[in-house]
Order: sequence, then C-alpha cells, then structure tokens
Amino acid sequence: MSVAAGTWPARVRRGAGRGRAWLALAGRGVVARWRGSLQIRVVTSALAFGVAALSGLGWFLSDRIADGLYEDRLSQILGDSASSTQQAQERFTASAGDRASVPDVERLLADVVGQLRVGGSGERRDVFLLAAPNQPSRTFANDQVTAADRVSLITSELRAQVRESDVQLWMPVGIPVDGEPPVPGVVVGSTVTVPTVGTYELYYLYDLSSEQQTLAFIQRVLLLGAVALVAVLGALTWLVTRTAVQPVRAAARVAERLADGLLSERMAVRGEDEMATLARSFNEMAESLQLQIHRMEDLSRLQRRFVSDVSHELKTPLTTIRMAAEILHSSRDRLDPAAARSAELLTAQLDRFEALLADLLEMSRFDAGAAMLDAERRDVREVVVGAVDQASALAASKGVWLSADLPAEQVIADVDPRRVERILRNLLVNAIEHAEGNPVEVTLAADENVLAIRVRDHGVGMTPEEAEHVFDRFWRADPARARTTGGTGLGLAISQEDARLHGGRLEVWSRPGLGASFLLTLPRRAGITIEASPLSLEPEEAPVPEPRVEEGAAAADPAAVPDLDRLEA
Amino acid sequence: MGSMKGRILVVDDDVALAEMIGIVLKSEGFEPLFCAHGDEALEAFRTGQPDLVLLDLMLPGKDGNEICRLIRAESGVPIVMLTAKSDTVDVVLGLESGADDYISKPFKPKELIARVRARLRRTDEPTPEHLTIGDLEIDVTGHRVSRNGETIPLTPLEFDLLVALARKPWQVFTREVLLERVWGYRHAADTRLVNVHVQRLRSKIEHDPENPEIVVTVRGVGYKAGTGSS
Repeated sequence: MSVAAGTWPARVRRGAGRGRAWLALAGRGVVARWRGSLQIRVVTSALAFGVAALSGLGWFLSDRIADGLYEDRLSQILGDSASSTQQAQERFTASAGDRASVPDVERLLADVVGQLRVGGSGERRDVFLLAAPNQPSRTFANDQVTAADRVSLITSELRAQVRESDVQLWMPVGIPVDGEPPVPGVVVGSTVTVPTVGTYELYYLYDLSSEQQTLAFIQRVLLLGAVALVAVLGALTWLVTRTAVQPVRAAARVAERLADGLLSERMAVRGEDEMATLARSFNEMAESLQLQIHRMEDLSRLQRRFVSDVSHELKTPLTTIRMAAEILHSSRDRLDPAAARSAELLTAQLDRFEALLADLLEMSRFDAGAAMLDAERRDVREVVVGAVDQASALAASKGVWLSADLPAEQVIADVDPRRVERILRNLLVNAIEHAEGNPVEVTLAADENVLAIRVRDHGVGMTPEEAEHVFDRFWRADPARARTTGGTGLGLAISQEDARLHGGRLEVWSRPGLGASFLLTLPRRAGITIEASPLSLEPEEAPVPEPRVEEGAAAADPAAVPDLDRLEA
Repeated sequence: MGSMKGRILVVDDDVALAEMIGIVLKSEGFEPLFCAHGDEALEAFRTGQPDLVLLDLMLPGKDGNEICRLIRAESGVPIVMLTAKSDTVDVVLGLESGADDYISKPFKPKELIARVRARLRRTDEPTPEHLTIGDLEIDVTGHRVSRNGETIPLTPLEFDLLVALARKPWQVFTREVLLERVWGYRHAADTRLVNVHVQRLRSKIEHDPENPEIVVTVRGVGYKAGTGSS
C-alpha cells in the first residue's frame, strides 16, 4: 500500500490540472453561451434581479416579524411578571404578623418561589429571589432560586439598577444550552419587601425559545416562498423571451437560407401581433430581394444573349467581307493602282475592325459576367515562352531586345493558358511599342501559393497620374501618338479582367523617362488569396527623378520671375 | 486550277457566306456542295458523299451540333464547324458532338483552306506500317485499330491522334505539339481541341476511361502513350 500511496499526490495534481483546464473550457463555453443567447442573458438577469429583490423583501419582512413577536411577548411577559410580583408581595405582607422566625421566613420564601414557577399564562419560568445586599437587618434568610446554574445571567449592574428602581426592569439575555447556541430569554426584576428579613430582589427568567422557533418557521416559509417565486420568475421570463426570441431566430434562419440562394424561403406569419408584422415585413423584403435578383439575372441573361446575337449577326457578314477582300487583295496585281491600294486599305482596316470587334465582345462578356475561366494545370514557363515567341517578331521589327528570366524548375499552376497568354501578349506588345528601342525584360517567379510575371520596359514611361488610367477602356496616354501604333485601346482593360477572373491582380508602376513595370500576380490554385507577390512591382534600382526634369520645371516655374525683377532693380 | 481534290459539303444558311466559301474552295480546286437548311443537311450528306463537311453552328431547323451527331453516327468523315461564338461551352459542346475541328468567324480564306487541307491530308504512307500501343494493334496503312482481332471504329482524326502517340511511345506530347501534328496548326491554338478528342478517343479504346492506360495524362505537360495492361 505504501507504494501505491506514493503515487497519489502526482495523480491528484494531474487531476487538479485537468480539472482547471476543464473549468477554463467550461468557463469559455458559458461565456460563449452568454454572449450568443439573448434568452439566457435575459433569464439570468431576471433571476439576478428577482433574487436581489426577494432577499431584500425577505430580510425586511423577517425583521419586522421578529420585532413584532418580540414586542408582543415582552409586553405579555412584563404584565405577567408584574402581577406575579404583586401576588408575592401580598403574600409576604399578609404573613407579616404571625411568622417571625428565620426558618419560617425561609419556608415562606420557598413556598412563594415554588408558586411563582408557573406564570399567569401557565408557562414555566425560572424564579430567583435574592436578598439585597447591605441591609440593616440583623436577621438573614437564604436566597431562593429555581435554577442555580442560571443565576449568573443576572448581572450585578441589573441588580444595582433594580434596587434603585421602583418599577420592574428587564433585560434580554442568552440562555446557554449544552452543546447548542444559546436560546434567547428575558430577565425581569423588581424588589419585594419580606417581613423580618427586609428587602429582596425578585427575578424571573423567561425563555423565548418558542418565539425563536416560530420566527425560524416563518423564515423557512418565507425562504421557501422566495425560492418558489424566483423559480416562477425564471420560468416566466424564459417563456416570455422564448416567444419573443423564437421569431427572431426563425428570421435569422430564413435570412441565412436566403443568403445561401434559396430565394423562395419565407417566414410563417401567425396572428396580428408585432411578431407577425416582423414576419410580414421580412417576407416583403425577401420578396423584393427575389424580384430584384431575378430582374438582374434577366438583365444579365438578356445582355449575354444580346452579345451572342450581335456576335453572330456581325461576324457572319464580316467573314464574307473578309474573304472577298482577301480575294481582291490577292489579285491586286491585275487591278488599276487606285483599286489595288483600296484593296490593301480594305484588308488592313478589316484587321483593325476585327480586332476591335473581338475586344468589344470580350469586354461585354466580362460585363455580363459571362466570362468563364477554363483553367488547366500547366507549367506557366511554357505559357510565358509562348507569349514571348509570339512577340519576338514585333520586337525584332522595332529593334527591341526581349529577354525572359524564368526559374529553373517547373511552375505548375491552375491557369487558363489562353487568358494568361493574352495578358502577356498585351503587356509585351504594349512594352515593345513604348520601349523606344530599349530592352524589355520578362521575369517569372513563384512561391508556394502565388506566381508573378513582370514585364518591364525602359521607354518613355508615364506620370503616376497617367499610370492610374492605363487600365481604363480606350484610354491613351498620348492620343495623337497612339493612333498610329494600333491596338484597340481595350487590351489592358481586358488583361486586368483576365487577371481578376483568375483571382489575381495586374498592377502598374511607371515614371516619365524611367519606363514602366507591369506586374501580374496569380494564385497557383483556386481559392488562394494573394497576400504578397514574389516579385516587386517597382524596380529595385529605381533612381530618384532625373535632375533634367527638375531643371525644366524650374525654368517654366512662375517662381523664377522675381529673379528677373531683382536684376532689373 | 489543278485536279479535283475533294468534295466539300458547306452547310450554312447565310447564302452570301456560302457562296463566298464556294468561290474560295473552287479556286483551290475543291468541289463545293451546298445546303442551307438544318433539316436537309443529313440528306445532302447522304446523297453528296462529301470528303469533308463545313458546318455552321446556327442553322434553321436542326442545329449544327445535332447534325454533327447524326453524321457521326453513320460516318467518320471529317467535320469542321464554323462558329461565331467562341465561348467555351459552345465550342466544347460542338467538339463533343463529334466535330474534328472548328473555325471561328471571321476567318481568312487561307485559314479555311489550311484547316480543310489538314483534315483531308490523308497520310499516304508508301510502306505498310504496323504499330502496337498497349494491347492495341494499329494497321496504319489500312486505317484499322484492333484489339484481339476485333476492329475498333475510330474517326480519321482519332486515328491520327492515336498513331501520333503510338509512333513515339517514349515521348510526352504537349497539347501544342499534338495540335501541330494532328490538326495541322502552325501556331498555338485552342488546346481544348486536344482535351476533348483525347476524351473521345479514350472512351473508345480504354478498358476504363476513368483510369486510362493507353493514352496517359502527364500532369502539367500533356499526353503520352501508356504501356497498357492485360
């Protein structure tokens, strides 16, 4: 057993640790319930208020009842003792003549005390007949008491006061009981004159235990009543809040289902009260919501249908025109110069028209929400290489160096290769056209979740204000210049939509004279939110704006004028 | 201009476009046949016995997808769809109903001719060639694929796709390479063509198309011939 006993404390400590953890857990649970349920909060508060109010009331009632009981009993006791004392005095006075000897007097005293033991109302009390000290009388008779062990309850102060007083005096005392708390009692005292032996003090000790019991009983009943009242209060509050909270809960449930797309979900309307009004208003709201959503859906469907129809209706004749133009173009050697040039212009402008139509249709597909991501698992390096290959012809014709910096290992990601390639094509064409013969760099980098492709040129660049607009539809940094370089003006807007469709983003940085940097950041798998890009948008080597620009600005600045004034003066 | 290279059925309700396509085809030596109504297309196909069908998607009567399915049910003749819609769903739907290829409007005459040629370019191998892939026997010259002596009917395109993979079983083909080899695209094009046709091919030759063993996907790259089992 001693071995087993050695293990106890550890086990207890562990148990205590677990207990604390469990308590903490339970505490959190309770707090969560408290915060989460209006009903629990209301019921708890009602109970707390109820308990406080009933405790106050109970204390007050019990106090008043105790006082009343005590007052009643005291006046009864005082009346009782006064008449008993009077009887005793009469007996003493009546026997004054015949019995003069001390033993006779002692017998008389014992007799009287014996009679006084039973009070006027038939109850028993202790009687103490004590000789007043310092009497001039020579004769002496013994004190007569019915309970010797309780004489000590009569204090010498009381005795002194009783001797001084003409009326009876009283004092509350606690009567000691073996092994139990003292019982309340009252001592009443007055003086009587006994023949032969002089003045005696007569005391009665009344026991108030029956009153105490009555009070305890009343308190028990009060407590029971209070507990019952609190229980009723709790139940009532619970019921009332339940009827109030239930419809709110139902509304929350229905609202959730509505939010999940179950638009035909409605609340049950019962009766004519406020809850019915809530349900009705809620249903009206849901109704109008459903109507709005259906209207939007219809609109979207209409828009999509329109785009599709326009697309078909326009493209079919355009195809015929295109083929006819090609036939004319291919036989332009046999046409006169004006007709031959016309055929050339026709073909070239058809290209532009087609590109614009394609971009417009693509844009309206985004606007109608009809654009869909056709994602597949691809090595993005291949996509980048494909786009760079396609742009290399243009780069060569413009005398621009095109370099691609790709990671050594595969960059597998779920992307729509057509869209990513289109973004890159747009960025590359844009960069090459604005590079002014400076190199264009493409960089691909990836971390676990995100991949980034940066296209950087060192051409004319733009002001930050201009850069803010590059993704706007049909926006051109320099309207006069851009017309000749072609492009539909929708390329970057479409690119940004393509990036968004992937859950990615397309950002731009640019400064005049420093070129521009476009950064495409895409999640490698669906559901990943982009926090940071593996590549920085702004070039690390970005120097401060060139001093040349500042000089120019100073020359044009009106602030330079006062200098001239000073020179003239 | 050269000898007749083939009969081509043009199913399109736009008379101007059909005529224009006819002019272009004739100039390249093809013989165009025309049909302007969806309900008459199948009949025109049966009587004309064309070597290739150019099929518009939007037609009065039966639509392009349905005609495609009907023709495919009785013939493996190459079908090229003409579509004004380039939305994924429409294109994939067309391919799944059995079209070999599609051309988006507006297209250039050269594009049309290149696509038609690619589909008509029957491999005229001078020497007999036999290949095996998995448990399949391929008679390249005879255009026949069989398993345990039983012929598996494949369209010419599916056949070409299978042959391309079987000729180099050690090589992983990217979708772009397959587009070039099988469809004759010189530039990167719609890789969905490859995806859809690989699915169709698998449904015909695999024991369990859900777990392909003959045409295997190499994730992130493309497809390769599997070693097969059984």
